[in-house]
Amino acid sequence: MIKEFFKRYTIFPANYKITVGIIFPILLLIIISLMILFAANPNSFQLNSFFGKQSVWFGVSIVAFLIVQSIKPHFFYENAYILYGFLILAIISTYLFESVGGSSRWIKLGAIQFQPSEIGKMIVVFALAKFLTDLRNLSSVYKTITLSFILTGIPALLVFKQPDLGTALVYIFATIPMLIWRGYKLSNLFVVFGPFISIIAASNIIFFSIWMGFVVFVLYYTRPKLINAIGVFISNIIFGTITTLIWNSLYPHQKNRILIFLDPTKDPMGAGYQIIQSKTAIGSGGLFGVGLGNGTQTQLRFLPVRNSDFIISVIGEEFGLLGISAILICFGIIIYWMINYAQITRNQFGSLSIIGFSSIIFFHTLVNMGMAVGLFPVTGLPLPFISYGGTFLLSMFLIIGITQNFINNNFR
Amino acid sequence: MPRNFESIPNSRKYGLIFLCFGLYIILYLQYFNLQVRNYSKYKGQSDNNSIRKIPLPAPRGIIYDRNGIPIVDNMPTYEVKVIPVDVNEKFNYFILSNELNIPQSELISKIENANKYSSKYLPLLLKRHLDFEVISRLSENRLELPGILFTELPARTYPSDAKLTHVIGYLRTVSEGFLKNASEELNYNRDDVHGFAGLELFYEPDLRGVDGYEYHLVDNKGIDHGILLDENRFSPKKGKTLVLTIDHGLQVLVENLLDSLKGSIICSNPKTGEIFAMASAPDYNLDSFVGPIPNDLWSNWNTDKNRPLFNRAINGLYPPGSTLKLAAAAMLLETNKVSPNWSVNCNGVYNFGNRKYHCWKKTGHGNVNLKHAIKYSCNIYFYQLIQHFNLKTWVAYMNDFGYGFKTGIDVEFESSGLIPNKTYLDEKYTSRGWARGNLLSFVLGQGDVLSTPLQVLKMVNLIATNGMAGKLNLVKSDDIEIDTLNYSNKTWTFINDAMWTVVNGLKGTGEKAKPNKGVARGKTGTAENPHGEPHSWFAGYTTLKNGKQLSVAIIIENGGKGSQVAAPMAKKIFNNFAGVKVD
Repeated sequence: MIKEFFKRYTIFPANYKITVGIIFPILLLIIISLMILFAANPNSFQLNSFFGKQSVWFGVSIVAFLIVQSIKPHFFYENAYILYGFLILAIISTYLFESVGGSSRWIKLGAIQFQPSEIGKMIVVFALAKFLTDLRNLSSVYKTITLSFILTGIPALLVFKQPDLGTALVYIFATIPMLIWRGYKLSNLFVVFGPFISIIAASNIIFFSIWMGFVVFVLYYTRPKLINAIGVFISNIIFGTITTLIWNSLYPHQKNRILIFLDPTKDPMGAGYQIIQSKTAIGSGGLFGVGLGNGTQTQLRFLPVRNSDFIISVIGEEFGLLGISAILICFGIIIYWMINYAQITRNQFGSLSIIGFSSIIFFHTLVNMGMAVGLFPVTGLPLPFISYGGTFLLSMFLIIGITQNFINNNFR
Repeated sequence: MPRNFESIPNSRKYGLIFLCFGLYIILYLQYFNLQVRNYSKYKGQSDNNSIRKIPLPAPRGIIYDRNGIPIVDNMPTYEVKVIPVDVNEKFNYFILSNELNIPQSELISKIENANKYSSKYLPLLLKRHLDFEVISRLSENRLELPGILFTELPARTYPSDAKLTHVIGYLRTVSEGFLKNASEELNYNRDDVHGFAGLELFYEPDLRGVDGYEYHLVDNKGIDHGILLDENRFSPKKGKTLVLTIDHGLQVLVENLLDSLKGSIICSNPKTGEIFAMASAPDYNLDSFVGPIPNDLWSNWNTDKNRPLFNRAINGLYPPGSTLKLAAAAMLLETNKVSPNWSVNCNGVYNFGNRKYHCWKKTGHGNVNLKHAIKYSCNIYFYQLIQHFNLKTWVAYMNDFGYGFKTGIDVEFESSGLIPNKTYLDEKYTSRGWARGNLLSFVLGQGDVLSTPLQVLKMVNLIATNGMAGKLNLVKSDDIEIDTLNYSNKTWTFINDAMWTVVNGLKGTGEKAKPNKGVARGKTGTAENPHGEPHSWFAGYTTLKNGKQLSVAIIIENGGKGSQVAAPMAKKIFNNFAGVKVD
C-alpha cells in the first residue's frame, strides 16, 4: 500500500527547474537577513547564535524545497480535505499542551516543538482551492462565499483562541484574493465581508471614513443593482455605528477585558514603546543607513524583539531607505511573478493555490512592515524570509517549493 | 484533477498586481516620510539615543463620607529614581546621600548591583514620598546627577476627624508573591502599592486607577530633557471615587465612645443596610506614615497583643450572650410549640442532670412569661424553654437570622462566627460526648456559640424591619439588596414589643439606653468569657417620629454588665441620631 501511495503521488527524478523571478529575490532577502542577524548579535560564529541557528534552518529549508519537488501536484488536490481535518485536530491538540507565555501554539514531542498553525496557512489554502475548483459553476454566489469563509473561518477561530490573532487574520485574508481569482466580484464579497470590516474600522473615525469611501468607490465601479448597493452601504454604516455605540457604553475594565481577549500578549505601554523605538531607529537610518552593525538603537538593545518581529527596524536603521527599497522591490517581484504564474498555470487548483500563497506572503510583509512604522497595530506577524524563526522560514520555503512544483508540472 | 479551467482574464491579474503594488507604495511613502522628510528629527533622537518611558502613577480614588466630607484624599509626594546605566564617574553621590538621607555606600552598592543585569536600563527606585523642597534642591544639581529621574507620586492622606481606621484599611507595597497572582488587568508593576485591608482592599480594582506614562528625551550624558512627544503621553487615570454610607459626625462620636476601651460599635440603617458608623478599638494611626505601611511598623502592630490591626466589628468572635435570646424567642413564636403566655417560676436556679444552672439574678425573677423573660433577661425561662426543642431546630433558627454565615458586607475576610451543629459537636466532643447540657448554654449565647458584632447588628435589623433588612454595606449604591426572613407579623410584633419593654419598661435591663427623643428598643447582653470580666453587649434600634431608624450593636470587651456599660453608650448614639444636644 505504501508502495502504491508513492507510485501514485511521487515523481522521481523530479523536475528541478528554478523560476529565477521568484527564487533570486528570495535568496537576496535571505542574504540580507543573515547579514543582519550576524551583525546585530553577539557570538555569531557559534552554532547556537541567532545567525548560526537561522543558517541551519536555511539549510533545512532548502532540503525541504527539493523534497517537495518530488510530490505530484494532484496529491495536494486529492488530499486537501484530509489535510484540513488533520490541521483542525492538530490545532485543537495544541490546547492540551502547556502554554508558553500565555499562548498554546505548540505541539511538543520530546525536544521537537511544532507549530501546526504555521503549516496550516498552506493547508487552508489547499482546502479552499479544492472547494473552489470543485464548483461546477458560479451560481449561488453568496452561498459559496459564505461557505468559503466558514471553511477558512473555523481554523482561523481556533487559532485566534490560542491566541494568535496574526495567523488567524492570515487565514481570513487569503480567502479574498482566491475568491476574486475564481471569478467572484468584489461587490459580492462586500456584501458578505464588508460589515465585518466595518466593525473593525469603526474603532477609528478616520479608518471608518476611508473604509466607507472605499465601499462607495467599489459600489460605483462594480455597478450592482441600486437596491443592493443601498443595502450594502446601509448595512456597513449600521454595523459600524452599532459597534461604536456598544463599545462606548462599556466600562473601561470591560473594554480592557475585550482588548486583552483579542490579544492577551498586548501590553499597551510596551507596544507603544516598541513602536516609538522602532520609528526612531528607522527614521534615523535616513537614505543610506548608518551601516551594517552600526545601529546604535539596536546595538544598545533599546529595540525589543529586534531579531524577529522588528527586524525591519534594524534594516531601516542600518541600510536606510535604500535597504527598505531593496526589500520592497524583492517582495514586489516575488508577488508579481507568483500572480503571473498563477495565470499561466493551466489548472484551476494550482492556480488558486499560488494566489493563496502569494496573498499569505503579501499580507505578512504588509502587516509586518506597516507595524514597524505605526501604520498597523502590533500583531506579531514576522517578515517572510527575513525574520528570525525556524518553523516560519521552513513553512515559507514549503510554500515557495510547492509553487515551484506547480509551475514546473504545469501541464501534467 | 479537473480541467474545467477557463483562462484568467488579464484584467483580473493586473487588478490584483496593482492592488498589491498600491499598498506597497503607501507603505513606502511612510518609510520615506520617516527616513527622508523627518530624518533630522529622528536622527536627533537617535544621537541623543534615549527615549525613556517614565511612568506616571495614578492617584487612588478619593473616599468621601455620605455627606461628601473627604475621609481619604491624596497629596503629592515625589520619588527619586535613577537609570543605573547612566550613572558615570561624575555622579555626585554626596549630594544625593545628603538629601535622601541614605548612606553613600548603600547608594553605590545598590546602583552598581543593578548595573550588572539588564535591569540597568530600567529606572531603579531610590526613595519615595519626598517633599517638594528636596526635589527642587536635587533638581538644581541635576547636571551632577546623570540618570536621575523625579516622578510625582500621590500618597494617601486622611484629612477627617473620623479615623475610620479599620473600615478604610491600609496599603502595602506589592510583594513578589502578590505580583505573580495579581490580575493582569490591573497591570501591577514592581514597587506599586495595593490595598491590603478594609475598603482599600475590597475596592482595589476601582480605587487603583490606571497608571499613565510619558516619554522623555534623555541625552547621552544621562540628563533628562523632559517630555518628548506630547501625543504619546498617556495621562494617568485617577481611581474611582468612593462615597461611603458612613456618617462622619456619628463616626466621630462612636470613636470617642470607644476611646481607650476594647470593643466595637456599629450603627446602621436597618431598611437599607447602610452602615452609619463602624469602629473597632484599639486601632492604629493611619497618619503615622506616608504611603504604604512600613514593614517594621506593620509587624509591630501585627504582633501587639491588643491586636490593633484586627477589625473587631467583622472579625471579632464573641459569645453573643443574652442578645441571642431574641432569636430563641422567635423560634418559640414561630413554631408555636409553647404558648407565649406559658410562664415559668424563676427562683434563681435550675437543676439539670446533676448540675445547677443559675439565673444572673441570684434571688430569682419569680413568675415570668416570654415577654418578662426578655425584659429581665431571665435565664431560667430559657433553660426551661429549650427543653421543648432539639438542637437541629435551634440551629435552623439561628441560621435564619444569619448566625454562622457571613453577612456579605463589602469587606474582605469577614468571619462567619459559629453556631455549633451536630456534626461540629460530634467532632469536638467525641470522647466525652455532648448532651442537652450544652444546649442550655447555647440558648443563652454562651458555650461554643460565637458571633461577630456585625451579625448581631444584622439580627437587630431583621427585627426592626419585620424581616426585610437591607444587606449591610459600606459604600453607597443605588440598588439595595434585601435580606429577607419570612416570619409571621405576630412574631415580629411580639419581639419588638418585648424589646420596647427592655428599654422603656420599669426596671428593664436596657433602661439606661432610653434616649431623650425617639423610641428605642433593644436587648442587653452580658457574655461570660474565659478572659476575665464578662463582655458587655447592647443591641437595639431607635425610631424617630419621621420613621427614620438607626440600629446599633455595641460590645465592650470585659466591660461588665451590658445594662451598665453598653446601654448608656447606645443612649448617646440614639440621642445624636435624634439631634438631641445633651450629655
